Amino acid sequence: MRIGVFICHCGRNIAGVVDIKALVDRVSTLENVVYATNEMYLCSDPGQRKIQEVIKEFKLDRVVVAACSPKMHGATFARAIEEAGLNPYLIEIANIREQCSWVHQDLRKIATEKAFKLIKAAVAKVALAKPLEPVYVPLTRKVLIIGGGVAGIQAALDIANGGFEVYLVEKSPTIGGHMAQLDETFPTLDCSACILTPRMVEAARHPNIHLYTYAEVKQVEGVVGSYKVTIEQKPRYVDPEKCTGCGDCAEVCPVIVPNEFDQGLGGRKAIYIPFPQAVPAVYTIDLEHCLNTEKLIVCEQCYKACGPKAINYLMGPKEIEIEVGAIVLATGYDLWPIENLREYGGGEYPDVINGLEFERLLCSSGPTGGVVRRPSDGKIPKRVVFIQCAGSRDPKHGCAYCSKICCMYTAKHALLYKHAVPDGEAYVFFIDVRAAGKRYEEFVQRVMGTDGIKYLRGKVSKVFQRNDKLVVWGVDTLSGVAVEIEADMVVLALPIVPSQGTKELAQMLKAPTDEYGFLSEIHPKLRPVESSMMGIYLAGAVQAPKDIPDSVSQASAAASKVLSLFSNKQLALDPIKAEVDLEKCVGCGECAKVCPFGAITMKKRLDKKKRKYAEVNKALCQGCGCCMAACRKEAIQVEGFTLPQLRAQIYAILDAKPTKVEIKKKEGGNEDKTAIVKPR
Amino acid sequence: MRTKRRLLNLDKLTKPKGKVVFIPERCKECGLCIEYCPTQILEYSTEFNEKGYHYPIIKPGKEDECVGCGFCQEVCPDFAIYVELIEPKLQSNDAKE
Ligand SMILES: Cc1cc2nc3c(=O)[nH]c(=O)nc-3n(C[C@H](O)[C@H](O)[C@H](O)COP(=O)(O)OP(=O)(O)OC[C@H]3O[C@@H](n4cnc5c(N)ncnc54)[C@H](O)[C@@H]3O)c2cc1C
Repeated sequence: MRIGVFICHCGRNIAGVVDIKALVDRVSTLENVVYATNEMYLCSDPGQRKIQEVIKEFKLDRVVVAACSPKMHGATFARAIEEAGLNPYLIEIANIREQCSWVHQDLRKIATEKAFKLIKAAVAKVALAKPLEPVYVPLTRKVLIIGGGVAGIQAALDIANGGFEVYLVEKSPTIGGHMAQLDETFPTLDCSACILTPRMVEAARHPNIHLYTYAEVKQVEGVVGSYKVTIEQKPRYVDPEKCTGCGDCAEVCPVIVPNEFDQGLGGRKAIYIPFPQAVPAVYTIDLEHCLNTEKLIVCEQCYKACGPKAINYLMGPKEIEIEVGAIVLATGYDLWPIENLREYGGGEYPDVINGLEFERLLCSSGPTGGVVRRPSDGKIPKRVVFIQCAGSRDPKHGCAYCSKICCMYTAKHALLYKHAVPDGEAYVFFIDVRAAGKRYEEFVQRVMGTDGIKYLRGKVSKVFQRNDKLVVWGVDTLSGVAVEIEADMVVLALPIVPSQGTKELAQMLKAPTDEYGFLSEIHPKLRPVESSMMGIYLAGAVQAPKDIPDSVSQASAAASKVLSLFSNKQLALDPIKAEVDLEKCVGCGECAKVCPFGAITMKKRLDKKKRKYAEVNKALCQGCGCCMAACRKEAIQVEGFTLPQLRAQIYAILDAKPTKVEIKKKEGGNEDKTAIVKPR
Repeated sequence: MRTKRRLLNLDKLTKPKGKVVFIPERCKECGLCIEYCPTQILEYSTEFNEKGYHYPIIKPGKEDECVGCGFCQEVCPDFAIYVELIEPKLQSNDAKE
């Protein structure tokens, strides 16, 4: 065996603490090590080339790199040795930066000793390494996108234009998400619907996009490459093939209820289309409010009014089964319920509203035709107070994070309010103004300089009603005075939270979320659109609060990840997977019980005794090692991390050797193996 | 939850109008029409009909609130109540046919 050891200085990151020269000398004496050296930056091009040259010159058959975390450059070095002709699994990384020099900066001697032990352990482990080959699994080159907001639409279009089939599943009767509800968008003030609706139509008409609205994903089985997905589509009671979207049905419907799309500020009928440009332009009967029930159908005014006879009260839910190779999650956000802010009168006073409600009041296609009116009495408010960070950046309310977009949309609201009500006054309470984005700061400065808009730095303590006014008590910390403002309307910039149902969806897909319920990316800087669950990608505000440009960029990034995954006909997976030794397996089934991924099934042997044995589905196995810990016979092992390898590593660190294995017979007959480790 | 709010576009939403026609002498006071009326505009009369039953009438002040859904007509076992639509658009549609 010929092992080479390469020790990296990482500039002064490692060399500033660890005595590299002493380390090289000691490492050279280790068993099987035929060459040891050091390099300023091993990850650099010359560093990698050095490794490759040495491999060839000294005919190395295994390599240890002592450097940073394998999460950082494990793949880089594996690729480098592969190019030099070695199997990429015949390498071990000793992490002497994060796990040594960074945490022992003042303890040079001990750090050097620890670095040596970590390298020694890596040498012992790599000596037992076997060459491994990637596991190839089938790849269905179709994608499921959940959520039809601007992020989902963008990802769908990008992937569809790349030539692959897309299933786009949207919960509500139309795609478009929150962007469809917005009036004009910061910082350019272009009309939201004008830029969004053409994209919505394009998505619906695209030959590669199968659109399922009013539908949800009910079940997902399988792993990256081949997911089996069940979609459930709720009945619209209107045949989408026949409906022309003329609206004659809604005209005659006798039921008026608040329209969710208008944030409940305006009404709609029980048979409705959320907004005129909805895609698909198909009406839906909301059975919860329709006078008819599932059992009793009497009122048939819409049925009679419908020219093309599209209405069918007997429609039922539909289940659709599809197969896809990857999933993009784009389920977006919700606003934190306003009722949580009792101190600001949230939920109590009708004229204390949230930002999306204000968007609907501003919007010319909104319930008031763009005239800002109070929900209580329909009067035009002459003084409006905007409160930023109404719940965000407030750990007491459980939203310690910054919701990121509120500074910008509040500035936009103040300006658009002034456009709508030129003689009105707008007050904005803020903690800081965060306007980091292209042309954002300029926009905020413009708003702050507008007559009739006043920015007050400070928090609001209370909002209460006095006659028909809302009294806002706050403080202006710049002048140090307490302020009281009698307002006609108060707009709260509430926290952005993950949309309802995202938690359950994440659980179903085993995609991790953070403490607030936003979906987690695998690496915050280098891999921001991938879930740690391979094959699952994130787009838009479901990962963190985001504005439209960020949502769209992330969606395109997720699409490019999917396209690169689909560039191969088969999927090559890392072979770090469980492997069963059939001679040792006794078929007890413990491994199958503990496997979190359902990757192990118990099968019957073909011999006479029909004994059972464990079989691993390599596509499902994630190499976590639970089975390995549970197996009493050491019959199941994760490749690259086998028990002999882990033991060798531990013995090397402890400077110990197993001296004896005692087998005690316990009462009751269970074998109890104890390996006794003694210092050498 | 969001109480005390009024829908801001009510002036743009129209409901169909119906006219309830009663045939009191047929009524046997089963109460189904009162029970099923989704707009809850019906109540018992204080008068009796010839058979000695209280028959349905429209609650005072709710005369304009019938939406013509036809539930009362459909559930009445005695053909004692029916609805005529007086919603203008529908009438003109009917005229066309
Ligand atoms: C008041 C306000 C004003 C704003 N103004 C601006 C602005 O001027 N400029 C700007 O750049 N940004 C603005 N934004 C931000 C903008 O709304 C977001 O950046 C954008 O909507 C994010 O898009 P998305 O697709 O990620 O999420 P969403 O728009 O939330 O879309 C998510 C979609 O997924 C669907 N969905 C959810 N759960 C499921 C499920 N389980 N199954 C299927 N479908 C599901 C939803 O129905 C929805 O259609 C504003 C936000 C607010 C609150």
